Amino acid sequence: MLEIKNLHAKVEGEDIEILKGVNLKVNAGEIHAIMGPNGSGKSTLSKVVSGHPEYEVTEGEILFNGEDITELDADERAHLGLFLAFQYPVEVPGITNKTLLREAYNTIARANDREELDPLEFEDYLIEKLNVIEMKDEFLNRSINTGFSGGEKKKNEIFQMAVLNPKLSFLDETDSGLDIDALKVVSDGVNKIASNDNAIVMITHYQRLLNYIKPDFVHVMMAGKIIKSGDIKLAEELEAHGYDEMQKELALNGEAQ
Amino acid sequence: MSEVAVKETMLNFISGEIDATSDSVAIKAINLRGRDALESTAFPTRKDEDWRFIDLKSITRNNFVSVSSAGVKEAGDISDHYLPESLNTRMVFVNGVYNEELSSIEGLPNKVIVGNLSEYGDHDAVKEHLGTITNYENDAFAPLNDAAFKDGAFIYLPEETSVETPIHILNIFTDSDKAFYATPRLLFVGEMYSKATIIEEHIGLADNVYLNVPVTEFRLFAGAHVHHARIQRDSKQANHVSRPIAMLDQHAEYHSYTICLGAKLFRNDPRVIQNAQEVDFTVDGLVLIDGEQIADTHSIMDHRFAHGKSHQLHKVVVNDSAHSIFNGKIFVAKDAQKIDSFQENRNLLLSEEGTVHTKPQLEIFADDVLCSHGATIGHLNDEEVFYLHSRGLTEQKSRELLVYAFALESVESMEVDSVEKMLLEEVIQYTNRDLKG
Repeated sequence: MLEIKNLHAKVEGEDIEILKGVNLKVNAGEIHAIMGPNGSGKSTLSKVVSGHPEYEVTEGEILFNGEDITELDADERAHLGLFLAFQYPVEVPGITNKTLLREAYNTIARANDREELDPLEFEDYLIEKLNVIEMKDEFLNRSINTGFSGGEKKKNEIFQMAVLNPKLSFLDETDSGLDIDALKVVSDGVNKIASNDNAIVMITHYQRLLNYIKPDFVHVMMAGKIIKSGDIKLAEELEAHGYDEMQKELALNGEAQ
Repeated sequence: MSEVAVKETMLNFISGEIDATSDSVAIKAINLRGRDALESTAFPTRKDEDWRFIDLKSITRNNFVSVSSAGVKEAGDISDHYLPESLNTRMVFVNGVYNEELSSIEGLPNKVIVGNLSEYGDHDAVKEHLGTITNYENDAFAPLNDAAFKDGAFIYLPEETSVETPIHILNIFTDSDKAFYATPRLLFVGEMYSKATIIEEHIGLADNVYLNVPVTEFRLFAGAHVHHARIQRDSKQANHVSRPIAMLDQHAEYHSYTICLGAKLFRNDPRVIQNAQEVDFTVDGLVLIDGEQIADTHSIMDHRFAHGKSHQLHKVVVNDSAHSIFNGKIFVAKDAQKIDSFQENRNLLLSEEGTVHTKPQLEIFADDVLCSHGATIGHLNDEEVFYLHSRGLTEQKSRELLVYAFALESVESMEVDSVEKMLLEEVIQYTNRDLKG
């Protein structure tokens, strides 16, 4: 579904490369976890894949279902079925969740020659999706993330994901700032959405999230590259020994710079 | 160069005689007062502090004539502009002249008056209040209204009366052969514990040049409550210089909302005067301008007694080469303790060429008050744009939604459904034009 080949990227207008040759392949039905210390480039990876204009790809390509999407705008990628759950969901006063979601849902539907939903149909559809994340319907009429608690914002991201039904979702540190109850609700929501037809890439600092959402693959990212890939055991290893230990070990084996 | 003693006055930009004075004694007195002031008041220049930033060229390069000699066109069918909520409480003025045929006043509560000022010159409230609080010192514009107006809206509410439906004062401006000046006038007198909603609208039907100088006077006695919406949709070539003023007695509430959409040049000097303790007032504004429009608001919130509460939210969206100016004065007199006054000016600048000047001006002589002010000038927030964009909305649509959201709060203060709906359509039209970054 997603194939990232030798991806290099930097902040637009700056010289320092943040991604230094990322390779990643994600198939339908898979859940991947990308772990890494702060500043390793994992959040940047999710932004570059979603088309954030702040970043410039200098080398490599991003293929989505075989199509090169490296040069596409963020909305065009969303139309193809990409979704980014933000690490810091943005507050947008004055626009309700419902307004955004209806506009987004129908825009994506139009782009894919699917039928749009009228306001009443959409309301029913939204209420059904609220169950995924145990949100109250009053949420729909609140301004996007405005005055939401940290946990509510993260829940709202997963709710949007449930509504827009993307093929591939990047969850950027969706676990950060969540208490244990919220973490369970959010994880439960993600597990409900995950299917054989879609794929999920979780970006996280901590192994804790992986107790609730079981990944098929775990990747370790450091200094702008994925330096090691494996299964859940890799995460456990990290939890036990830390990133420094892994870096040293890899250095000894000559696997990393 | 030698100093030239002759100052320019408003009369330099007026051609031909001003029409004869009114037959009504009360109005004639104001007409004469205005004619004197017109001759003696200098026209503002950039050297005057309150006129520093505004370019008055679109006035000074013209010679405006009276409506009667401008070759003005008929209004035609303007029923699209009628408010369904005000079908029987509507006064229509065409180029400042009352049009009885297009107006509809029916079924008002006993002793309530909604009528043409020229017919009520003998009414005690007119004799007592017309022109008494509009004391704009050194003002070159209010005297033009004083000098030339004959018709006007007179709204009178006796004690403890309430008009349920909004009173719609519809000022229509038509196409003309020559640039003209028009002088809409509105006198509102609300006796103790009266209550009303006034929708004052200015609509230009064509794209012609004119000078609209409305004066509105609101006198609210104890406990009177008034909601006053002013919607300016003049011709995009027009000049609109307005003087809305309100004076409030104890427990009176006056909430005003000015929406600026039209006119080439808009200058608005709203003033609210606290005339007794414990009043509550609002002086909100929403300005949406583009092209070469200029919108300048110079407001005064004049707290003269203790325990006043006031609020001002002035929101501005500037696109293209448009220019917004805001100067918000808050006066608090020495003995006016426990004043709670809040002012905020938020500017959204959508283009590189647009200009915003903002200046809060607090002059506080009491020591136990709560007065705050804030002004922000910003572009659309890139992260907000990307957030919406990443959800599948085009970048343009994302920007439109954010501008819409910015304006929404002010529109929702209208309290009259059809007005809100009309304004939301105006906002959508505005955002559908090319929004720059």
